[in-house]
Amino acid sequence: MTTQLNPVLYGKAIQYQLANIVTPIPVYASFNRNFATEPKFLTWQLRNVHQPVYTGQQQNNKGIDRPVFQISIFTQKIEEGFTISNQVLQSLHGYSGQFGSPSDGFFIAKADVVWLYNSYDNEQNLAQVFLDCTIDVPA
Amino acid sequence: MALINKVLPGYVATIWMQEGASPTPLTDAQLATWTGQVADIIGTEAGGTGGGGLLIPVEAVPAFGSDDAVAAYSVAGARTGAKITTQNQVTSLNVTSAWNPADPAQLLIREDGYNGTTIRTYVIAVYDGTDTVAYAFNARIGGLKWDMSPAAEGKYQFAIHPVGGNSYGWSNNT
Repeated sequence: MTTQLNPVLYGKAIQYQLANIVTPIPVYASFNRNFATEPKFLTWQLRNVHQPVYTGQQQNNKGIDRPVFQISIFTQKIEEGFTISNQVLQSLHGYSGQFGSPSDGFFIAKADVVWLYNSYDNEQNLAQVFLDCTIDVPA
Repeated sequence: MALINKVLPGYVATIWMQEGASPTPLTDAQLATWTGQVADIIGTEAGGTGGGGLLIPVEAVPAFGSDDAVAAYSVAGARTGAKITTQNQVTSLNVTSAWNPADPAQLLIREDGYNGTTIRTYVIAVYDGTDTVAYAFNARIGGLKWDMSPAAEGKYQFAIHPVGGNSYGWSNNT
């Protein structure tokens, strides 16, 4: 028997965890034109919050949640983006334990990071690296 | 109440078990009796009266019913033989649950599997939001397995082996 987990808590935990990994580089919940003033920064977007639903009328007959958040790294130099992505990989990939702050966090069984691809935006002079992180949350 | 008269999605099925470490399974006649018997094992959320049963939190209710059983005869030198149906065995159910170590139904099934001889009444309830159709049978538990594949939640798997014969019955709310 399982309860649906709260996406607000996910958001707070992701923000806290990423900010701690790459400090002092700023971390934002979405792209917000900070490229005008910040030479490098991270954004994240949460998706696929979903616990499989099993048979019957009982709402709490569910499986575990395995949400994914995309991490987008923006830098003016390509190498800096790769370096920051390495920080994320070293800290997060395979991590098991407290995720987020002690007050707005929870235990995760495992974090699994996939380094998706890198890119470059010529008009904005921004190098970009995109990663996906899946977290397994007991519920 | 009338018997459900519509085509149903698979999600409407739930499976229930008598509670208690030493249950008294229903008699063959009681397995086909809704009021005071089968209805007590089914919870109110599936149209029963509850009180004497526990929901088993399964991923899906597997196919249930009876095995196909025939005795086949042939005679040497003759062109055709014959197939005669025998009393069909009640089908075993191979069940997968998301494992919660503290779930009371899963704990009872674990104890039944360890015991090996406990006979308990199980009920598969089909509920359309108003009416319920129930398939009740007596069975033992075997084949306990825990599958901890890392790609999903841990699975608790077991087999429900009906005692067979006439130890099953259909009923519906009245």
